[in-house]
Amino acid sequence: MNETVSPLLKIVVGIILLIVVAPLVVPLLMSISDTPFIVFPPQGFTLKWYGAVLANPEARASFLFSLELAAIVTAVSLALGVPCAAGLTRFKLPGQDAILGLILSPLIVPLIVTGVALLQLFAMLGSRATLLQLVIGHTVVCLPYVIRSVSASLLLVNRNLEDAASVLGAPPHIVATRVIWPQVRPGILAGGIFSFIVSFDDYPISMWLADGNHFPVPLYLYTVIERSFDPSIAAIASLMIFFALLLVLVIEKVFGLSLARLAS
Amino acid sequence: MSRADIIDVPPPLSPDTGVAGASSEGGRLEGMASRLVGAAWSLLAGRYTGYLLVAPTVLFLAVWFLWPVLTMVHLSLTAHSVDGVMIEGFTLENYARLFASDLYFRILMRTIRIALMTSLFAALFAYPLAIAIARGGPTLARLVTITILAPLLVNVVVRSYGWQTILNKTGALAWVLKLLGVSNPPVLLYTEWAVLIACVHVYLPFVVMPLAGAIGRIDRTVEEAARVAGATRFSVFLRVILPLSLPGLAVGVSLVFSLSAAAYVTPQILGGNFSPLLGTLIEQQILTLNDWPFGAAISTLLIAMVLASNLVFLKLVSRRFARWTAGAR
Repeated sequence: MNETVSPLLKIVVGIILLIVVAPLVVPLLMSISDTPFIVFPPQGFTLKWYGAVLANPEARASFLFSLELAAIVTAVSLALGVPCAAGLTRFKLPGQDAILGLILSPLIVPLIVTGVALLQLFAMLGSRATLLQLVIGHTVVCLPYVIRSVSASLLLVNRNLEDAASVLGAPPHIVATRVIWPQVRPGILAGGIFSFIVSFDDYPISMWLADGNHFPVPLYLYTVIERSFDPSIAAIASLMIFFALLLVLVIEKVFGLSLARLAS
Repeated sequence: MSRADIIDVPPPLSPDTGVAGASSEGGRLEGMASRLVGAAWSLLAGRYTGYLLVAPTVLFLAVWFLWPVLTMVHLSLTAHSVDGVMIEGFTLENYARLFASDLYFRILMRTIRIALMTSLFAALFAYPLAIAIARGGPTLARLVTITILAPLLVNVVVRSYGWQTILNKTGALAWVLKLLGVSNPPVLLYTEWAVLIACVHVYLPFVVMPLAGAIGRIDRTVEEAARVAGATRFSVFLRVILPLSLPGLAVGVSLVFSLSAAAYVTPQILGGNFSPLLGTLIEQQILTLNDWPFGAAISTLLIAMVLASNLVFLKLVSRRFARWTAGAR
């Protein structure tokens, strides 16, 4: 059925895809330019900007903090989200629609608003625990992704396999570990990866709740862009893009096109 | 013949075999996890179990999401600040200020304009991509899907920086235009156009994915019938694909409108100081001017805009075109 797509359409699609890729490729070219400022096309070749970035203690501290934060947020989101998804898909709960609405609403309310509302609440409560605040703020946003992805895989579980296992004498916990768990594992893994990415990349919540000692990577990048103009920013950007590329490949490898769930 | 003759009954499984099997494959952690899940699962028998499972999440979101957002809406209606002094009591002053002041009203209008234009351009670019995904071969579909989703995984600051390097005076776009013989290429950086381009770029997949889904559900025989009856490719698109894919388009466009209306980082980096949006205004009012009630009012307005766009695009559009699209489901 390939002939249903006209050649003209293929050309248009090709051009659009080139434009989509451009802002991810141009920083790579800039980052190897041997000039003290950004200029296109890049001149010369050097890797010194990468060296400068990797040796920068601030950049390293931000990166490590972001990893730590994303790991904690992912753990909390899974701990809350997996049982919740099980409850939503396996039981008929009166008021289920209202519960679902509450769970998905952090995706509807603008993040910047959620962030400022939390800041106001934390100020009201007199809280100074920055790490805890950031974990709470990120978890609010990551929970919907986890619950959606885990629910989707729970709904796909073949109930006949469970019945078959029970008929053959498997006690409930064996059914859970040997029949249900292998089927939902990809969904839980996907939910975990999504929540890690969402937390690691978050700007609009962190911008309200972070402080100088707890400074996630996106905020750090923003300050660097504001204050300097040499290609070392392009080097950081390139490293972030490589990191994202790695994630794309891992997700593709593990889940095929279920990456599309991010956007649907 | 007894039942056991028909069904080859394996020896009953025990938890030990499960764990032993897992650890022999080198996944001891997995074995422990599965035992934990098993223990949890065996608890799922009681009547209130469903609620017990859902309760922690509901409680968490009630306290850390619903409560703060409602508190903020409440603040926007019960206090306003005059020359830095907070005056309490019910008031609509904060909202009146948004519409009365020329400066704030312009920012509001700019936000709506950029959100609408982003939706429009995203829809325009999304159709060829969605058709390629739904109707092209598996290889093309994969290529398009991965490529348009890639920007979503790249941090918003990095993405905006990427556009900065392209739209800069000495950037890639100027270079390309000069090669093409444009003597005085326009500098788009720090204009609304830069913000628009970057927003369309990243929010494109939010239209393409639901649209591809909707187009994929259209019966190919309908298109073939139209072609056989003499319709050109373009009129097949206009009279078959377009109307039948409107529900998917509505879903995507409402998402793009909401996301771009609330964009903060992109306009900050690419729009410069000359074209702030509502997000920037919230940040200024709260972090710089410390005017919490006014900041809360702008935030509330932003929520209202997002809800309104959901309502308009999803409810009205889908109801109005329900008759046309009945065949697409």
